[in-house]
Amino acid sequence: MSQNETKRKVAFPMIAHYNPAVKYLIEQGLGQIYVMQPAMTRRTMALGEKLAPDMVCTPFKTILGSMIEALEAGADTLIMTMGYCRLGYYGELAESILREQGYTFDYVNFAEYTTGRPKDYLKALKAITPHPRPPKVLKALKEALDMVQHIDDIECQYYMNCGFETEKGSFKAALNRFFKAMTSAKSRKDIDRGYRACLNAFETLPVKKPEPVLKVGLIGEYFTVMDAFSNLDLEQALADMGVEVHRWMNVSHRNLDYPGEKNLHVRIKDYCRYEMGPTSTANIWKAKKYAEDGFDGIIHVKSAGCTPEIEIMPVLRRISEDYKIPVLFLTYDTETATAGLMTRLEAFYDMIAMRRKVIL
Amino acid sequence: MATSQKPVVGIPRALLYHRYAALWQTYFKSLGVETVVSAPTDRVIAEAGARAAGDEMCLSLKVYLGHVASLIGKCDCIFVPRIVDFGIRRVMCTTFEGLPDIVANVFRDEHLKVLSYNVNVQGGLGEKEAMIALGRELGFSRKAAKKAYKAGFAAQKAADDAAAAKAEKQYKAKGLKIILGAHRYVTEDAYYGRPVIQYLKEKGAEVILADAVERKSARRAARQFSPTMKWEVSREIAGSIAMHEHLADGIILMSVYPCALDSMVDDMIVRKLKDSGVPILTLTMDAQSGTAGLETRLESFLDILTLRRRAKQEVKA
Repeated sequence: MSQNETKRKVAFPMIAHYNPAVKYLIEQGLGQIYVMQPAMTRRTMALGEKLAPDMVCTPFKTILGSMIEALEAGADTLIMTMGYCRLGYYGELAESILREQGYTFDYVNFAEYTTGRPKDYLKALKAITPHPRPPKVLKALKEALDMVQHIDDIECQYYMNCGFETEKGSFKAALNRFFKAMTSAKSRKDIDRGYRACLNAFETLPVKKPEPVLKVGLIGEYFTVMDAFSNLDLEQALADMGVEVHRWMNVSHRNLDYPGEKNLHVRIKDYCRYEMGPTSTANIWKAKKYAEDGFDGIIHVKSAGCTPEIEIMPVLRRISEDYKIPVLFLTYDTETATAGLMTRLEAFYDMIAMRRKVIL
Repeated sequence: MATSQKPVVGIPRALLYHRYAALWQTYFKSLGVETVVSAPTDRVIAEAGARAAGDEMCLSLKVYLGHVASLIGKCDCIFVPRIVDFGIRRVMCTTFEGLPDIVANVFRDEHLKVLSYNVNVQGGLGEKEAMIALGRELGFSRKAAKKAYKAGFAAQKAADDAAAAKAEKQYKAKGLKIILGAHRYVTEDAYYGRPVIQYLKEKGAEVILADAVERKSARRAARQFSPTMKWEVSREIAGSIAMHEHLADGIILMSVYPCALDSMVDDMIVRKLKDSGVPILTLTMDAQSGTAGLETRLESFLDILTLRRRAKQEVKA
């Protein structure tokens, strides 16, 4: 890229904890500036809710709000992802809404480049930076994807252990240091150092786990189950009750490793003849696996109106019956509040704790 | 239950039945397979569906499950195709991807046998091959299955062409013309959609179904209208509306609660047509209210359209 080109200020909607990896790719691979909008709040939701169609699924509203906050933070270029469900149409509708509001920005909507020819995604890349240097881009992409895997690994370990720390807040402090390191990383070395430091901390921080420990598996809709703001910090709330929280669904498992998980449907053939939707097979399989592995409960998380997740609920009920494992179904919309959620979680916790006592 | 060797196939009169009735009926008839189609939706079917279904499922899926329930004991298997897509940006709602397994799990205790065929073009399975495979599964030769598909395909094409031709004629009618943009399983449903059409007709309106259209042209128009719209049926409806809105006095977008596709597509249609000035009414039906309260809204919409038309004619005069 020539020196006198002005750099773009690029932003991406806030999605779970992955934005540091997007930032890394944009800055190290594409040589542009990344604008990190603030973490999502009720304001984000309110901004999106006001402009979005009523009945659209909740993630559209938060993503729209987070795009507005990115523009407010100075972004001039917005990137949007494609997706298998309604997500694939988010981009175009969001653009139309934002333009109508009078926002000016350049827009790179990957859904427009979904043509069946993977090469066309290169065009999207060129829309961000006119002269990408492929080796540099590929190297940064590889490193960004490694960062995604680190983020997922750290989060998995965090929610499995933080509920049992003996020094209050020690795990959270290590986690925060990790995300800070990922956000400011400029090289593979920075990424690895931050990752190792956090792993180290998690290994050495004192924990006291009761034996046996209550284990809950989380499954559900791709966005809401991963995004702590959208699920009202469900995982933390459970961990704070003294639960070992497992969540398989993340970008590493669903997107990076998943294509290698061939024939996954064979493992659920007692329940399903076909794939039922974008994440359905994985969720059904994982629910069955949690049940087989002796978990105490399963929580199914989704936003209101998420069709594919609504439609696997009959299957999850069958798994619940067959394995005698309690399943809590949580539906999140813009009205869902922490108080109501906590009541349901506490009741669920009491139930699985009591069951455990009876079984023992 | 069945005395003959061939099973009696139960077909729910809901969801894609309203799109593929000719194909399915002709196909089974050609093979000599006996079918029984459930009765048109009534209150009993609708309520049975609501009981069997999950609360959060869309109204049309609830209705579908009511039809399945009504067929129990009347057939040896229930015919529930799985239709994922017809190519890139030609996908169906995920409900049609999961439908056979939804039915199997909801009615597991009834030990229903689900008969299916699987269309997934991006996964390499076209409709023709899928329906030939279905015939093989039923014990027919490949040749017989192919012949049955061919007959079914021709019958469906004739029905679709006739519907499109009828709609084109309607666009030239003299009366108050209203384009009804809705999924066929909503407009054709005897309990929910039909009464709306009936009401409009009684009031003298010419009701034109948006999805009665030459599909290829409609898809092309949709590509101009909204490039990343990816749902097959939504593209037919939106494309048809884009092609014909200038011929209509008004547009009604009728949807069931909570329709994933319409939640975004209807909003986009309203946005895109804002400058065209054609009045648009959006209606959503849910299991609780059904069609109650719709009449008032339809009546005032018709009044608006009539006044607008009169004003236009006066300008011309």
